[in-house]
Amino acid sequence: MSRPQLRFLLTGLTLAISILGVLAFATNSDGLALGKVELRSAGALAFGPSGVLFVGDSAQASIFAIDTEDTKQASSSESVDIKGLNDQIAALAGTSAEQIRINDVKVNPASHNIYVSASRGLGPDATPLLVRVGTNGKIELLQMDHVRFAKVALPNAPEAKAGQSNPRMDTITQIAYVKGNLLVAGLSNEEFSSNLRTIPFPFPKADGNRGASVEIFHGSHKRYETNSPIRTFVPYAIGSQDYIVAAYTCTPLVKIPVSELKPGNHVKGSTIAELGFGNRPLDMLTYSKDGHDFLLMANNRRGLMKLSMEHLDAYEPITTPVPETAGVPYQTLKELTGVQHLTRFDGSSALILASIDKSLELKTIPLP
Amino acid sequence: MRVFRNVFLLLLALRCGAAAETIRLVEGVFKVEGIPKDRSLQDWRSTFAVYASSATIAMLGTYEFASGVLQFHPRFPLAPGVRYRAVFHIPGTAPIEAFFDGPPQPVESTTRVEQIFPSAAVLPVNILKLYVVFSAPMSRGQEWNHIHLLDQKGKPVDSALLEIDQELWDPQMRRITVLFDPGRIKRDLAPNLKMGLPLIEGRQYSVVVDRGFIDARGAPLANEFRKTFHAGPVDREPLAPAQWRIVAPQSGTRIGLRLELPKPLDYALLRRTIVVHGPAGAAPGDQIAGAISIANDETEWSFVPSLPWKRGSYRLSIDNTLEDVAGNRPGRAFDRNEGDRERSPKGSILVPFEIR
Repeated sequence: MSRPQLRFLLTGLTLAISILGVLAFATNSDGLALGKVELRSAGALAFGPSGVLFVGDSAQASIFAIDTEDTKQASSSESVDIKGLNDQIAALAGTSAEQIRINDVKVNPASHNIYVSASRGLGPDATPLLVRVGTNGKIELLQMDHVRFAKVALPNAPEAKAGQSNPRMDTITQIAYVKGNLLVAGLSNEEFSSNLRTIPFPFPKADGNRGASVEIFHGSHKRYETNSPIRTFVPYAIGSQDYIVAAYTCTPLVKIPVSELKPGNHVKGSTIAELGFGNRPLDMLTYSKDGHDFLLMANNRRGLMKLSMEHLDAYEPITTPVPETAGVPYQTLKELTGVQHLTRFDGSSALILASIDKSLELKTIPLP
Repeated sequence: MRVFRNVFLLLLALRCGAAAETIRLVEGVFKVEGIPKDRSLQDWRSTFAVYASSATIAMLGTYEFASGVLQFHPRFPLAPGVRYRAVFHIPGTAPIEAFFDGPPQPVESTTRVEQIFPSAAVLPVNILKLYVVFSAPMSRGQEWNHIHLLDQKGKPVDSALLEIDQELWDPQMRRITVLFDPGRIKRDLAPNLKMGLPLIEGRQYSVVVDRGFIDARGAPLANEFRKTFHAGPVDREPLAPAQWRIVAPQSGTRIGLRLELPKPLDYALLRRTIVVHGPAGAAPGDQIAGAISIANDETEWSFVPSLPWKRGSYRLSIDNTLEDVAGNRPGRAFDRNEGDRERSPKGSILVPFEIR
């Protein structure tokens, strides 16, 4: 082989390796590929592995997995106190604060940067926004034109018939990533039923394998059961078993083993607490402190509630009617009011979004 | 000395040149005109910024500079009712500032509530949900301030409705679903035991949608809407489609097939959970195209086929998610006895009928 031929061959090889490298980067083992993310709504958020942010898009009945490339570990424990979050997002988006709606708030577990889903505008044509708030207070809109992402349509999503719009809508109320699966809770605007879906991540390629839709029931004291929607939930491990602790629309707190979330199963949550009348759980998180496990819950009426999770595995479900609050013992932290969102910040703090005098404040609080 | 004076005059001329720069808003684009063509400006964002209302953080957008015109294209369209402040500032010179208004906000109220479902004047005390239908798309964030359930004295009924953040709109935001608190309807739960059902049998109630509900354009409703009803007996009867009366038309016609229901069913679900198949012997997947209409306070469902009926055996396929106004389904009450689980139908219920 002559030298020019050899050089040509080597150049070709180098080029081929480079292309393969780029392709491997573009579509990695996580199934994400470079492209433009076209959200129609931005609702429930959750973090997955390696800086992947899951975004629930109810308008498209889909979940997006977006590579935030935000994987740098936070160097130290910070605290956050950002006032006027809605004013600041409105300023960037060139509108008034009343036209900004915050839909969800989650913290990247590695970097502790805060991710906010919001919308600009209040009508059906509102523009979805994804906002990153640094622990230093810097606010920026996430760039969506050229990012690695994947999209999956929800199993059993409402279908539009040809030529007519379908008024049925399934609002994605909560998502969470648990060991290779995304759990998605939804609330229909028509039938009263549960729809908890489990979708594997990386998302399956074939449409026929988009994950399972599981009917969840709520049993009332071994007498009555209702096919009942879950509004909010939090994953929690008891021993080696993974559970979700969930709040139904009808207020009781239940636990459901994740292993039971399979199609065809008659899945029924067992009540671990009735939280009292008129109390509406908004967000929950679990944590450990001084060797004990707790659940922290934001409510619409009762400030923050702290529940002991001790011996939840041995806890007997409530089987007799209780006229007032019962079950797992809890205490109320009344000094924190107006909390709209609650999420874990780091090992010792939670992050809340609270409404104070029409202004939305993001701040860290020590886990109680 | 003369040299110095000339330099001073030159600087003055340059400054006067800068003063000739003007800011205009043309079709949503902010423009600074009159910039010397040879001016080299590196950092547009720090030179020219646009702010919404009293914001101190500049709006996002992209810049373009050509032929002495610097353009700022906002990332989002200008919002109605918002005042914008554009500031052009070259360091060392006086800033030029101009104010512009976003598109005008509509002032005319034209949107109305078209209807509230269920339509009936008597509703069971364990009613599960209402649909409020508007004549045009609406805005989020107002449901709980502008939809009221009042008793016969006009006082709000305490904790009857489930106030949740996820407003249950349809995609066009013309219809919102309002749930009664299921914790009060479902037997034996704490709220049910403590407060009972949300309504009291025999009493009169009103659902009021007040004028303050803002539509998607930003205008309030044209008028208040009020639906008055009486609370009737509790309904925990599962649906029994096999017992519904079917009035079948003659073959060769396009007269509507009529289904007479013993009680009002859910308006939204009636529109999509019942389909017609047939006639027997037609290809599998033989669903017939046609138009559904719902009448008589949601106690009558009818179906006009696109093509005339043929003689033969047809069937109605009724999805098991169909509900009445209290959430009862075929073969299953809203809160069924656990022992009844086995009797609940799975999938669709088929009801045969003949066209002669």
